[in-house]
Amino acid sequence: MRYAWLVAWREFIENVKTKGFWLGLFLFPAIIVVSGTLPVLLATKGVPTRHFILADFSGDRAVVIRKELARIREVELAEALQVFARHAPYSEPFSYHVRPSVTNGAAWHGGELDLVAWRAAAGTNWLRVPGFTLPRPALAEVVLPKELPEARTPAQLEQLLRPWLRGERTLPAPDVGNPVRLFAALVIPADYGPGTTNALHYWCENQADSELRDLAQRLLNDDFRRAEYRRLGVDPTVIARVETLRAPITVLNPRKAEGTEKVGLSDTLRQWAPSFFVYLLWIAIFAVSQMLLNSVIEEKSNRIIEVLLSSVTPGELMMGKLAGVAGVGMVMMLAWVGSLVGMALFQAGHMAGNGAPGSTASTIPLELVGLLRDTWLLPAFAFYFVAGFLLYAGVFLTIGSVCNTLKEAQNFMAPLMLVMMVPLFLMPFIPRDPNGPVATVLSWVPPYTPFVMMNRITAHPPLRDLVGTTVMLVGFTALLLWGCGRIFRTAILRTGQPPRLLELLRWIRGD
Amino acid sequence: MGSMALELREVTKLYGDFRAVDGLSLQIPTGALYGFLGPNGAGKTTTIRMILDILRPTTGSITVLGADSALKVRTRLGYLPEEKGLYKKMRAWSVIAYFATLKGLSRADAKRRAFELLERYGLKDFAMARTEALSKGMGQKVQVLASIAHDPELVILDEPFSGLDPVNQNVMEEIVQDMRRRGRTVLFSTHVMQHAERLCDRLVVIAKGRALFDGTVGAARRLVPRRVQFETADDPAPLRGLSGVAGLNAQGEGRWEVELHDGADPQAILQACFEIPVRLRSFNAAEPTLHEVFVKLVGDQAREASFR
Repeated sequence: MRYAWLVAWREFIENVKTKGFWLGLFLFPAIIVVSGTLPVLLATKGVPTRHFILADFSGDRAVVIRKELARIREVELAEALQVFARHAPYSEPFSYHVRPSVTNGAAWHGGELDLVAWRAAAGTNWLRVPGFTLPRPALAEVVLPKELPEARTPAQLEQLLRPWLRGERTLPAPDVGNPVRLFAALVIPADYGPGTTNALHYWCENQADSELRDLAQRLLNDDFRRAEYRRLGVDPTVIARVETLRAPITVLNPRKAEGTEKVGLSDTLRQWAPSFFVYLLWIAIFAVSQMLLNSVIEEKSNRIIEVLLSSVTPGELMMGKLAGVAGVGMVMMLAWVGSLVGMALFQAGHMAGNGAPGSTASTIPLELVGLLRDTWLLPAFAFYFVAGFLLYAGVFLTIGSVCNTLKEAQNFMAPLMLVMMVPLFLMPFIPRDPNGPVATVLSWVPPYTPFVMMNRITAHPPLRDLVGTTVMLVGFTALLLWGCGRIFRTAILRTGQPPRLLELLRWIRGD
Repeated sequence: MGSMALELREVTKLYGDFRAVDGLSLQIPTGALYGFLGPNGAGKTTTIRMILDILRPTTGSITVLGADSALKVRTRLGYLPEEKGLYKKMRAWSVIAYFATLKGLSRADAKRRAFELLERYGLKDFAMARTEALSKGMGQKVQVLASIAHDPELVILDEPFSGLDPVNQNVMEEIVQDMRRRGRTVLFSTHVMQHAERLCDRLVVIAKGRALFDGTVGAARRLVPRRVQFETADDPAPLRGLSGVAGLNAQGEGRWEVELHDGADPQAILQACFEIPVRLRSFNAAEPTLHEVFVKLVGDQAREASFR
């Protein structure tokens, strides 16, 4: 045991000393932080305003679009002001700057700005708050370029607009100083209305960003329907009332305790958080097994292996290597999960300290902390990491022992990678039906058990699955490690061509 | 029995149908410096691996330092394999110390010993260097030191001189001699006969997995008929009639070689030359070299192996 420990210690220390290890250690939490903040940052700052032209040959159809855009802009401004107010150290500037007579007392409730009260008090000056800069609009209409000759038909206009649509020319925009690129043009034909066969032309190079297109379509669909109702003699007030009708739906989960069956954010989180851990598991197992492969191949190609085997048995060597690299993996996991939990705790504590109710998104850290506390996520993660690592590490170790170079090993790695990719492909499907047939069947396939069961762990899998797959996984891993050990013992000293499958089987049988 | 550091009894190793080692028996007394010679593919490395219990013999038995498995006495054994390599990213001292800890030394002792050895054999300045930064010869020296850092009772060195320049070959010889002085048993394989000649008490020559010779260097020399070479302008034919002479061969341009029977004295040839007389320009009665012995013993098999 002492020898296995010595091998393990060297393996651990030498891996921990590499730059790659430290890079991995910090890169992952950094990626989490960046992926948490970047989309928000990009959504607010990164996505440029999309400028578009709205040419209406029908006369009045564009009104609904413009009205909705104005409403959206109003919401954008209100939300931005609310966020600004939440972070403002005190509320005085709000009243002070607008009008001395405006008192802000009514506009503040528990540290949050009450927009309705504020707008009532401040009137048209409601946005004129020191330090507050207006957010950029997501969509902004621009007028037709001045130099454009007047077009009589949509086709003519479209022809004339082509250089702008292709980005060859720019045009001035009211909200920015510089000339801008035209994002899209909506050209509404003359007789556009219910029953028309003429289509609105949506011109845009960027097919991926469909926000404007979807918005126009939704608004015009509603508009057509309303027009049709009116034509059929339905009272507009009735239409308006009908449109406000909503069928209330409460989602309940029968598994939850009585009185708390209502499904909320924590339930969504409970459903999807395991997926995150599956990714983590996958990355960790793969990265760590790769280390093992490199280390075996180094020892084999440098022929250090012979000296080692004069001091330790192949079994001790294998055990030492597995333990050493598992140690590296555990340190990495502790750092990763630790930084995640730490971040969640910090955020949760921060929010609790502020006492602000916050939006739905901002309660995620609190919910996450609760989830980690109340479920088996972390213990399951630890177990499946060890079991999954031993299973895959055994295979990687064997590949390392039969190959002389990394290049040779890559040939074996290709099929193994395909096998390993399956849980990644399935990741989005399993949380949707965590106890369904696909999830259940795959849980019983040992190479997939760690990933699939990890993904199911918060969905109360049947006890049969939980216990059965665990026994199966442990048994399979033990058997696999035994077989790998037999191959390792024979292969590790061999040079030349990697063995054929039949030869491997012979080695396992001990011939 | 107790005086034997290593004993092989009828050891055979089969790889499928191929006999890598074929009924090899060997006894190496404690404190001996034993040469292990043989052409490429003779089975030296397989034998060494079996001695170290890295491989198991198909039949036969091996006793190492009184134990039936080298792993039971691994802390008393040192081994330098034929193909040398080190962990590239580790520092010279830590490689030596690591292998020493695997041989039972405590971490502190292993570290102290590593620095001590590096200093003694001229590598003090490279103790902190990563092994990838060392020259081939230096790397090899580090590996040799790694194999003896725990002061083993029995050291097996597989081709310790290959890849070393003459200066480092001398250092290597010094290391081997140091071990002999301290009463350690050394078994080393080599292709370079001069080293074997200078260092060994005894040697074993194997080919095709079988021992062709096992004995002292003197006994090995006696395997090759002694020869006398001389140069003369006269006709040396009368020498054929002498009792110790097995043959007389012309080498051209007045050079001749006399093959002697076992036990014949070269001095008798010299005396006969004076008496006949055969006037000599030169006379050389050197003993056969191990090189000649080796070529005589395994020449054909070695050639065969090299064309396989």
